[in-house]
Amino acid sequence: MKAIFNREFNSYFNSMLGYVFLTIFLLLTGVMFYMVNIGYMTASMTSFFATVNNAAVFFLPLLTMRLFSEDRKLKTDQLLLTSPVSTGEMVVGKYLASLGVLVVGTAITLVYPIIIAFSGNLPVAETIGCYVGFILLCGVILSIGAFMSSLTESQIVAAIATYGALIFTIMLGSVASFVPNEVISQILLWLSPMQRFADFTLGILNFESIIYYISLIGLFLFFTTMVFEKRRLK
Amino acid sequence: MITISNLTKKYGDKYALNDLTFDVQEGEVLGFLGPNGAGKSTTMNIITGYIAATSGTVTVDGYEISENPIEVKKMIGYLPEIPPLYLDMVVWDYLEFVYELKKVNKEDKNEHLQTIIDMVKIDDVKKRRIGNLSKGYRQRVGLAGALVGDPKVLILDEPTVGLDPKQIIEIRNVIKTLGKDRTVILSSHILSEISAVCDRVIIINKGEFVAEDTPENLSKKVGCKKKIIFTVSGDREKAEEILKNTHGVSNVICVSSSGNSYDFEFETEMADEDKRKLFFDFAENEIPILMQKESEQSLEDIFLSLTGNKEEVQEDESNI
Repeated sequence: MKAIFNREFNSYFNSMLGYVFLTIFLLLTGVMFYMVNIGYMTASMTSFFATVNNAAVFFLPLLTMRLFSEDRKLKTDQLLLTSPVSTGEMVVGKYLASLGVLVVGTAITLVYPIIIAFSGNLPVAETIGCYVGFILLCGVILSIGAFMSSLTESQIVAAIATYGALIFTIMLGSVASFVPNEVISQILLWLSPMQRFADFTLGILNFESIIYYISLIGLFLFFTTMVFEKRRLK
Repeated sequence: MITISNLTKKYGDKYALNDLTFDVQEGEVLGFLGPNGAGKSTTMNIITGYIAATSGTVTVDGYEISENPIEVKKMIGYLPEIPPLYLDMVVWDYLEFVYELKKVNKEDKNEHLQTIIDMVKIDDVKKRRIGNLSKGYRQRVGLAGALVGDPKVLILDEPTVGLDPKQIIEIRNVIKTLGKDRTVILSSHILSEISAVCDRVIIINKGEFVAEDTPENLSKKVGCKKKIIFTVSGDREKAEEILKNTHGVSNVICVSSSGNSYDFEFETEMADEDKRKLFFDFAENEIPILMQKESEQSLEDIFLSLTGNKEEVQEDESNI
């Protein structure tokens, strides 16, 4: 798993992808920080993350679109799947590499709360909550992207399918408010990973929400593993 | 070392492999011969655990692939038809990655990798990106990848496809050296390649077992008449007539011509006396023989005689 993680992580920076991603990510968060925190003179990171979350939906699929599809296209999956590594290990290794790139980007954005801490009163618990929630939410998005990438040989198809799935999860919240049946509406809200984020922004590390996110990640990685197992048996 | 029994692979209703059974002894170099689409790659992909069989078993050194995939995969070095190379990586880094991936534990990693690099002669490109290498070098890097960790079993799927003649000879020599202390399965659709390196040959066609023997016995078994190609210059009709009237010559065809020289191909069972007569007949008619060579026995001939089904083979020829 370590070998796969290392290779995959390095490949982001062997190609332009890693740099392009980090550039866009940091440019975007920088602008958000300037507009939201400096523009409105607020020390709270909540609205900053609310905006970055929505933006994340648009740039995270770029990290995962080639994760598995490229291997299949270039037949390098033959190397991975005939090596003494289990399919699960391979999937997790690759997934963690994409998460790793995101974590690098997110770590750099820590300068923003540090700036706030020096010049104002930083709500520490709330900020930590936001960061934990952000990484978990992005983790879910990346796992969905990884799953989509395992389904196809084409990076473009993988990216578009991921966008489709993500836009649908964002819409879940608004769809729920239109459903007259209270029970169904609650279920829809429960299914939406975006809704869960609110807890974190209040500085509450809700155990249930953390488990919810981690389960979703696990579920999609499990689906991805199943895609490989099924293809092997086909 | 490797036992394959009743291996069957179905894609929908189509059989890619149908009840294939054979075994490979330790230290043997086994040639796996068949036209494209015969099921060679499918068999190799099943042995290496890339795909699963519909039914049947593959046992490598006592381990069954579906029960102990990790153990089996540790023993095998595999070079698929398209070498599985990461084009964005430098050759050395790629081999290091394969080393880690295969969980190899050698005392000196660098020395181990360098030995392999020297063996397949890629030392001059080891610091270059794989994406910038030529096909021949990529094929060799793929072979190097298969050799990482000194696997007991090497499975090479058409290792010389797309190489130039010099590279083919080099790769063959590497395989010969490797075959001395390893079990090797090598697939090909070129008979001469198999005869050059293999101890034993298995022929399959349309997913089914056709024949198994040493390369020499196989050629004998085929029992084709010797084919000869003659290039003569001069009167085409006269030359054809002489050939047809010579005792022991049959199936004369003019295969090509350039200017006023013609290539005739024919089957022959000529006695020495007939050969002498043929020579003087040509000389009398002032038709010089420019070249004469034995035509190589082709895989198609082998299939013709082994399967005894002419139409089927001609259909396959278009794929070869």
